[in-house]
Amino acid sequence: MIGLTHYLVLTGILFSIGLVGVMRRTNLLMLFFSTEILLNAVNIGFVAVSKFYGDLSGQMFAFFIIAVAASEVAVGLGLLILWYKRNGSVDLNSLQMMKG
Amino acid sequence: MNDFLFIFLSFFALLGAFGMIVLHQPVHSALSLIVTLLALAGLFALLNASFLFAVQIIVYAGAILTLFIFIIMFLNVKESNLPKEPNKTLYLFLGGIVLIPLNLLVLRAFYAMPLLREPLAEDFGEIKPLGAELFTKWLLPFELISLLLLVALIGAVVFARKDEV
Repeated sequence: MIGLTHYLVLTGILFSIGLVGVMRRTNLLMLFFSTEILLNAVNIGFVAVSKFYGDLSGQMFAFFIIAVAASEVAVGLGLLILWYKRNGSVDLNSLQMMKG
Repeated sequence: MNDFLFIFLSFFALLGAFGMIVLHQPVHSALSLIVTLLALAGLFALLNASFLFAVQIIVYAGAILTLFIFIIMFLNVKESNLPKEPNKTLYLFLGGIVLIPLNLLVLRAFYAMPLLREPLAEDFGEIKPLGAELFTKWLLPFELISLLLLVALIGAVVFARKDEV
């Protein structure tokens, strides 16, 4: 019988995959993809808790997270295009001008 | 039947996510991400969240991924311009091992909470109760989200403008 634990384990594994992707990939586009994985993993956790506790608040949060993700992608990709036009690279290591 | 569906969908979600961080070409990663997002939409449907199931497919797999693929095609990054990532697989593997304690901590926190005993309402997660709650209890966050989307829209337009102004 599949319970809350299974969904939370899935959330944890997906979140770890996304976090590792954020930390280790140096391609800026991959960073965006990994962020999407992170947000989606949390969504699954929220909806699972929402179902198993009979409270709609979890689904509300998932709904808001999707809206935040959409706006994040719109702004982030605009910045990415500007950066690529200026530098011709999507390498995260080229983005070190703010490093102290 | 539900157990089988859960295992099937989560297998594809994990496979897509794993392919996403391992593949080198951005287009392949984007296609792999679509597999994950569709599998997660299926999981939403399994969890009685029929409205989120539709939103996931329309917004994520429809709009966001289309935007991603459009941008990848638009940038047309050459193979030589992709960053070199030596020892990538090893680092990804080690990072995964490092994160296991974090997962265990989160799971232990959830075991302390009591589970719901009575069965769910018949229309749990459908559009009508969700909308009623959204426009009463969650009205202020809803308006703030609309403001955020407006700001993102204006921001994207400002970024895309030419520099002469």
